Amino acid sequence: MRGALAVYQKEMATYFRSPIAYYVVAVFLLGTGYFFLYNVFLTGETTMAGTLQNMGLLLLTLAPVISMRLFSAEYGAGTAELLLTLPLTPWQIVLGKYLGAVTILLLISAGTVVDLVPLYLFGTPETTTILAGYIGFVLLGMACLAVGELFSVLTHNQIVAALITAAVLLAFWFVGHLQDFQRSDALRGLIGYLSFARHFTDFIQGLVRTEAVAFYLVVSAVALTLSASYLQWRR
Amino acid sequence: MSSPAAAIVLDAVSKRYGSRTIIRDVSFTVDHGEIVGFLGPNGAGKTTTMRLIAGFTAATSGRVMVAGYDMATDNVEAARRIGYLPERPPLYDALDVSAYLRFVAKVKGVRRAALAAELERVTIACHLEAVTRQEIYKLSKGYRQRLGLAQALLGSPGVLLLDEPTAGLDPAQIQETREVIRGFGRDHAVLLSTHILAEATLICQRVAIIHHGRLIAIDSPSGLQRALAQTNSVSLQVTAPPDDLRAELLSLKGVRAVSMLPPDRDGRLTVECQVEAEHGIEAELARAVAARWDLHRLERQAPTLENVFLHYVADRRDESGSA
Repeated sequence: MRGALAVYQKEMATYFRSPIAYYVVAVFLLGTGYFFLYNVFLTGETTMAGTLQNMGLLLLTLAPVISMRLFSAEYGAGTAELLLTLPLTPWQIVLGKYLGAVTILLLISAGTVVDLVPLYLFGTPETTTILAGYIGFVLLGMACLAVGELFSVLTHNQIVAALITAAVLLAFWFVGHLQDFQRSDALRGLIGYLSFARHFTDFIQGLVRTEAVAFYLVVSAVALTLSASYLQWRR
Repeated sequence: MSSPAAAIVLDAVSKRYGSRTIIRDVSFTVDHGEIVGFLGPNGAGKTTTMRLIAGFTAATSGRVMVAGYDMATDNVEAARRIGYLPERPPLYDALDVSAYLRFVAKVKGVRRAALAAELERVTIACHLEAVTRQEIYKLSKGYRQRLGLAQALLGSPGVLLLDEPTAGLDPAQIQETREVIRGFGRDHAVLLSTHILAEATLICQRVAIIHHGRLIAIDSPSGLQRALAQTNSVSLQVTAPPDDLRAELLSLKGVRAVSMLPPDRDGRLTVECQVEAEHGIEAELARAVAARWDLHRLERQAPTLENVFLHYVADRRDESGSA
């Protein structure tokens, strides 16, 4: 654990000494603020549902920016040669980096809490629904970052890592639309289950379903396991 | 050759990437308290061999043991005993010097209580005192190289792998770095790759020469020179007619070839004789020349490591050319 913790601390130190973390935080908070204003003040509904939905989409474009440098930057700078020859297991490296990325995710989630102030001042929103929405948002983000970490492990080029991650995440987000083209119930079910958006919608509506929680956690676990296995295998 | 106590053991190690073989059947050992120099032209496989020992890549066949641990199965345990400076110092540009060293020390398991003292030790050893608060991207090449070395020294690992540790340093820094390595080599095992032959002669007990991925010689610098003693040369300065002198020298037993530079202003010829490694041949040369002309200087020249290296590398080139 000590090893993973040291990697985590190093990650946090490097995040905030490069402009990327600031860029992600700024774009996310500005974007969320805009959507919030649009959704709440134009419609007059005192819920976070619309805003959370937009936050999910915004996350799909920003998660690759957070995750792209996790390994690609280490390969590029030659520091991978240090990291992979220090007394660290692949899991310690993968987890330490993942926790660093998840910390950024938690930070940007916490930043949007500001939007809740007018909601509670001028209306009576359902706290449990909002809470469920945030749980869903964080779980979605964890899955996105794990997928992003996997593609960063696989390529030396940060831009390539970000583009592939974004493409894959968008595909998983919109895959639900393919349901309408399927006749077989099994296939419809499978496609629906794979959709990042469908599970997220459940959370926004206030439903914390075990199936949805498990889905995001399994996606994260699979992506992280593949990353660690790749590090072991590439030797 | 392989002793159980050896700190580094390579046993018939090969490394292939696809159809390309980078390292072929390399075997050697490095003992504790020994500095071994690793010589070879660019692309010979020095860096790949270093990476195999450091655990950055795994051998395709054969076995790499470090401090008694098999790198194929126990590489993390072995890594606690290895300090590794790759060819390109692995530095996080965004961090400052002390944050970087603290990160490496923590991962290497340096205890919190001992951390400050350990950082101070390597900072002083590598002369980094002036830059501890500086961000790494602002450092000069010499400082970057020394920070890379400092990182390798953290935690006092039993085995030190240094890939071109003096590259990019100025002469004074090279001197200092060699002293650090020499000091470290007294009670650790050090494998040091270099293409500076003088460096290998100065600080290494043994030198390994690698070429086209094969280990072609490993011995003490003087042992390698002895092995080449048959190509010794004797250099003379003589005032004499060139053609007569050449004929006289070639008539002597044991002289293989004679080459001459044109006479200088005083009419002195500088002559280089390739001779066989027979004892007393200098005396015979001196007698023969001095009997007829003025002999100003006569000197037997032992082969430099440069010659040794070129000899081995050239031999192999012939082999691969004819194959």
